[in-house]
Amino acid sequence: MSVSRQASRIALGLVIPCAVLVVWHFASRHSAVVPSVASVVNVLIHPWQSPPTLDSTSLASGALISVLRVACGFTLAAITAVPIGLIVGRNRTARDILNPVIAAAMVISPIAWIPVAIIVFGLSSPASSMYGDEAWRYGMFDQLRYAIIAVIWMGAFFPIVLDTAAGASSVREAHLEAVQVYGATRMQRLRFVILPAAAPAIVTGLRVGGGIAWRVIIAAEIFPGTRSGLGYMITTAHDQAAYEYAFASIIVIGAIGLVLDGLLRLAAHRVTRWQVKERS
Amino acid sequence: MNDQNDMIRFEQVDRHFHTEARGEVRALRRFDMTAKRGNLTCVLGPSGCGKTTLLRLAAGLDKPDGGRVFLNGQAVNGPAKNISLMSQEGSLLPWRSVRGNIALGLQVQGVGRAARRKRAEALLQRVHLPTNVGRSYPHELSGGMRRRVALARALCTNPSVLLMDEPFAGVDEPTRHQLQNELLNVWSADKQTILFVTHSLEEAVYLADRVIVMTFARAVAQFEIDLPRPRNRLSEPFVKQLVAVREALEASSEYNQTIKH
Repeated sequence: MSVSRQASRIALGLVIPCAVLVVWHFASRHSAVVPSVASVVNVLIHPWQSPPTLDSTSLASGALISVLRVACGFTLAAITAVPIGLIVGRNRTARDILNPVIAAAMVISPIAWIPVAIIVFGLSSPASSMYGDEAWRYGMFDQLRYAIIAVIWMGAFFPIVLDTAAGASSVREAHLEAVQVYGATRMQRLRFVILPAAAPAIVTGLRVGGGIAWRVIIAAEIFPGTRSGLGYMITTAHDQAAYEYAFASIIVIGAIGLVLDGLLRLAAHRVTRWQVKERS
Repeated sequence: MNDQNDMIRFEQVDRHFHTEARGEVRALRRFDMTAKRGNLTCVLGPSGCGKTTLLRLAAGLDKPDGGRVFLNGQAVNGPAKNISLMSQEGSLLPWRSVRGNIALGLQVQGVGRAARRKRAEALLQRVHLPTNVGRSYPHELSGGMRRRVALARALCTNPSVLLMDEPFAGVDEPTRHQLQNELLNVWSADKQTILFVTHSLEEAVYLADRVIVMTFARAVAQFEIDLPRPRNRLSEPFVKQLVAVREALEASSEYNQTIKH
């Protein structure tokens, strides 16, 4: 892509954010509630500063714990959903058993699982499992609540299962026969044909699941006992009318989402290079 | 009757499928056939007459409902090491490079990377493709080049039996003729037993030692082609042979019935 084309793409991408900034600026001048752009920028450029008026950790450590929670929940979802999706996609009996469960569970908002997660996991965390009553000493480690991770897992799991199953079930028989004729084992069929053929669909599922996980975390951080994270900061900022922190958190959420999606897109490009070329 | 020279033998083979659209479909019905060791046998017939099922059974990818299939005197129970299958265009794996596609069989058999690469490059030369094509993906090649890659892949494990399912369908005539000659060159050097499925009578007469004609899931006629090689499509003996086979087929009531269908 030429430099001028790339510059024009970046410029076009900045049009809406700039318009939002202008509208925001004028709105803040005529409203006592909307924080000024400058106050939000001040929070953003001092990310490690603890908010003086809020019972919350700094913006940076809040972002870090949110990212950690999403990373744990999303990784668990990917590890469990990809194999299950492959089984559902390739095995009719498994499909018949699991499809009704998946179809019913996928329409339930992940947020609705919060009470269930609290009943199952309570307020326990990896730190509480290892250190019991002393868990609070381990800060971030204690804040990785199992219940929050379980809700993120629920959010990311179903799109990954469904896309993986769709990819695995659409593998062409001719491609499978290409290795079967050499006496390929079940694992070799999986490695040489099913996984690469399903990779584009798996990556799509991971991107969708990643997006949902990142959206779910904000709502999941209203959990009782949670004292950190961007979702928690937004809630407490709202309670204390310190809206500059809520706005700053929203901007950070968007920025991290953009980076995560960029990373997943990069991974997708590598895995699906052949498919992109084949379509063009 | 078992013959030492029979490399592939079908004895009274039955195979039927159930499909949603067509109900019960008989792909092969009490089917008998032999392919002699080192011969090039063409199976000729219209679409849907059971030709591909025949190859899948010989490759051990499918099992008969009745009768038996023998390969080199042994009943076929699954894929065998000395067999290779070259299907129609779509069987190249689009996510693998040309080199990766050619060496697929060796990789399945656990051959090391360096040996696979060496063999793939030798085969690229053998099918007259430049070595730098090895890094390309199948969709970056022309139809003719893809067929050459598929041929190279089929030869990679050094098979003694080559099963070919309309391998040159869908390419223009000059390329098709080139590919046919390419195949004959390989065959005359290695003398594999080749079972070649086609619906082109001209292709069958040009390539084969023997042509087996299939209709309605059965072999209805066989012709020995005694023309010397290399064959010339414009020569009088070739045209005479072609016409003789055509006339014999037209006289066959079963074949005519199929054509009318």
